[in-house]
Amino acid sequence: MPEPMSAKNTRNFCIIAHVDHGKTTLSDRLLEHTNTVSQRVLTAQHLDSMDLEKERGITIKSHPVTMTYRAKDGQDYKLNLMDTPGHVDFSYEVSRSLAACEGAVLLIDAAQGVEAQTVANAQLAFGQNLKIIPVINKIDLPSANLELCTRQLEDILTIPAEEAILASGKSGIGIVDILEAVVARVPSPRWSDYPQARILVFDSLYDAYRGCIAYVRVFSGSIKAHDMMMLMSTGQKAEVKEVGIFTPKMEKCTVLNAGDVGYIVSSIKTPSEVKTGDTITIAARPATEMLPGYKEVRPMVFCGLYPLESDDYEKLKAGLGRLQLNDAAFVYSSESSLALGFGFRCGFLGLLHMEIIQERVRREHDVEIISTYPSVIYHIVKQGGEEIDVDNPVNMPDPGTILEIREPTIRASIIIPNSSMGDMLSIIMEKRGVCEHTDTLDMNRVMLRCVLPLNEILVDFNDRLKSVTHGYGSMDYELGDYMASDLVKMDIMINGDPVDAFACIVHRDKAESKGRQLCEKLAEIIPPQMFKVAIQAAIGGKIIARDNVKEMRKDVTAKCYGGDISRKRKLLDKQKEGKKKMKQIGKVSIPPDAFIKVLQNN
Amino acid sequence: MSASDTAQAKGVGGAPLGLYVHVPFCASTCDFCAFYQTQPTAETVLGFLDGVKAEATLVDWPRPITTIFWGGGTPGLLAPRQIEVLGATLRERFLGEPQEWSVELAPASVTVERLAAFKAIGVTRISLGVQSFSPALLEGLGRQHTKEQIYRAHERIRAAGFRSVNLDLMFALPGQDEASWMADIDAAVALAPDHLSTYCLTFEEDTALWVKLSQGKVKLDIEREARLYEETWARLAQLGYEQYEVSNFARPGHACLHNLNTWGMHEWIGLGPSAASQHAGWRGANIADLALWRERVARGERLTEDRVALTPALLAEDALVFGLRRNAGVDLAPWRARCPEAPWPVVEVLADRLVAEGLAERAGSRLWLTNRGRLLADTVGAEIMAAFEIESEQISL
Repeated sequence: MPEPMSAKNTRNFCIIAHVDHGKTTLSDRLLEHTNTVSQRVLTAQHLDSMDLEKERGITIKSHPVTMTYRAKDGQDYKLNLMDTPGHVDFSYEVSRSLAACEGAVLLIDAAQGVEAQTVANAQLAFGQNLKIIPVINKIDLPSANLELCTRQLEDILTIPAEEAILASGKSGIGIVDILEAVVARVPSPRWSDYPQARILVFDSLYDAYRGCIAYVRVFSGSIKAHDMMMLMSTGQKAEVKEVGIFTPKMEKCTVLNAGDVGYIVSSIKTPSEVKTGDTITIAARPATEMLPGYKEVRPMVFCGLYPLESDDYEKLKAGLGRLQLNDAAFVYSSESSLALGFGFRCGFLGLLHMEIIQERVRREHDVEIISTYPSVIYHIVKQGGEEIDVDNPVNMPDPGTILEIREPTIRASIIIPNSSMGDMLSIIMEKRGVCEHTDTLDMNRVMLRCVLPLNEILVDFNDRLKSVTHGYGSMDYELGDYMASDLVKMDIMINGDPVDAFACIVHRDKAESKGRQLCEKLAEIIPPQMFKVAIQAAIGGKIIARDNVKEMRKDVTAKCYGGDISRKRKLLDKQKEGKKKMKQIGKVSIPPDAFIKVLQNN
Repeated sequence: MSASDTAQAKGVGGAPLGLYVHVPFCASTCDFCAFYQTQPTAETVLGFLDGVKAEATLVDWPRPITTIFWGGGTPGLLAPRQIEVLGATLRERFLGEPQEWSVELAPASVTVERLAAFKAIGVTRISLGVQSFSPALLEGLGRQHTKEQIYRAHERIRAAGFRSVNLDLMFALPGQDEASWMADIDAAVALAPDHLSTYCLTFEEDTALWVKLSQGKVKLDIEREARLYEETWARLAQLGYEQYEVSNFARPGHACLHNLNTWGMHEWIGLGPSAASQHAGWRGANIADLALWRERVARGERLTEDRVALTPALLAEDALVFGLRRNAGVDLAPWRARCPEAPWPVVEVLADRLVAEGLAERAGSRLWLTNRGRLLADTVGAEIMAAFEIESEQISL
């Protein structure tokens, strides 16, 4: 370890960028240049440790790292780099990581220019009063367009173009310039003169042996092992067991001082008790005000997760429990469905978060799962003024008792090529959205600012955006207000029995077409049945669409004599076993994969 | 048939008793056939005959045999002298005179001498494996006979004067259209057989046809099969053949008693490799291996596979599953009396539903499937098996 450096020589910064603009490669170069990680040890994308993160090129957990850099002024600086989650679903996590910094390196891909996420992240950084260092990355690409990038910097992000650093993470161009800019432009740690200790929790990790490990930025005061700390949001006290820094692996140290970024292991075992955004103080001399910006994170998107094999229920339960240890934003509770058996109602920050959790359950916990339609939380105002929240269509009260249903909306920024404008506007309209502003970005692209119901973007919005823009479109969003809307609960019934897994809340105008589509799909997917089976879509008992499952035509063995009886029985036994595995909806046996197919296809 | 149902349901002596002999020899293997068979040599045939003799001494013969069926394989591959030896071997064991004695023959092996031998031992019924009259389709099946051989064989059989003659036909063959199938039916009916069996081509595992199916060289077309079934049933009814089972039609008095016996869950004794038995409280099949079967019977052992105990519930279940394949259906009352603990309320619910949906009809305690229902006899069978075993689950849903 080098000599302890004063807070004056500490710089806390992060790198923000649109997906694939080269954030991780650039981070690796910085680590390499400062000899934090030797080149030999440096595997590609060192900071993204989760397989899923590497594969998708996104960062889910924070990966802070402390580097030491001897600047051209001859002094040593401690540089704390916060690698932040890059997706809107984790915008609160992003905002907490940003809150732990004083500066941000904003990466723009020289060939792609500014994207929706670049704008969103830059705005988050402005909101935290961070000093922004614009870096135009991948300048050695043949398709690099520096002129366009610098103009966009000024026009869209209002950042003076002359501040931009030209770089290439891949070839190592501009790395020293970036490090020098961090030293020169990013202010030294703020709020360090507050009289008591205030330490921001910006992430946490669960360790099977040590319990919850809080990732922290010390703003004022200091913290060391055996201190009695206090979490200000709850008043909960705990003994500090260990403090340390990230090199990038965790390395124990004696004390964390104002300006430092590191971790705290305490006597708290349960990660959900250490909330991202909370302020830790020293129990003996507690701060009176928390650091700004703390809020309870609430899931926005919900769906049911069920094991494909009912025997896997316990395995799924254990898997979800372990995932939650590392991801306090993910919530779940048990529920059961007539169609799908026993499973869990799960809440996520957004769609990507949902996808990631599902994928991790499959991969890391080896459970095949099926998920129901995603849903959002509706605010329902009942006759007499009572208000309730509903996150599962099954819990929707009787329509007669409802005065008004309000649904969450988002404010989206969508960047698309000019040529896709017409298609995009019709998708937005179809999704019940309103386009409020259109800004021209450059010769080829426009940015639409729209308000859309959250529930409309849950399923295929992003895919369709990519499809009509041939992959060039991008979107970012933040949550907007709740708005009243003419929504109804639609049931899907098989031979008159409602199938809970398919119940959904839809806009009245779309109910019929969605109902018809679902009925058709089910009629097509459910294998032919011996008895007549009707599939109906209904709103409050009124049938709005119907279809019939195909009738079975022929299932008979031609030869059945003495020697065939045992064979025949085996065959029928198999058929019978197959039937046992089927889901019984009333009198109808439906193979479980029929539900999955319908749910997957939508 | 209801008298026979009653006799079986009571499970008393004096009931029918069948004898099945599996003659496991074929000159070659047909693409569609999954039955156990092997190439005949002088040694294996003698071994087989000795084996049957040995096995017959190991069987408990409780009462007179009422029907006999020689199947295969191709019993017609035995030489006349061997036929007589086999007949004599059996006659040494069973008492009395059977009502019916059937032998399956392939057209290519039908000779005057063999027919005389069959006649001499007491065979009453010949079942001829015609399959098709179309040379192209016969070729496609890998069959070893020509259209001319069929006609010659048939003439010889008629000349020998057996009480009943059956012709086996197959439909839904690759390359067979509806017109050519109707032509096959007409050609068969022109020979005025007493009995007709029409088999929808079945893709059985371990057959060449199955391999072709899995390679995509032939395709399954359920709708076409269903249509051909319906047309067959309608056409043969028109031509004066009464359908009495999914694939079987007869002029009055010519239904195959041996098979009715089987479907009614009576008892039968099976001899020869792979032959199934159902008697003395168990059901099972001899090992499907000529050498092994032979070696064991010589040591005084019958090596059986898939052996299960015959409980009243199993027999009642199978009487329903297999009885409903018959046009006459099944009389529930005697089975109810024999096995009162079976889940009859569940069966009744199923029966009501079948009737309500036009898949079955009912008169008193007799239940039978309509044509539409009989086309789904396997699904109905699986439902019955589910009713017998998973009663409690059914009720809870």
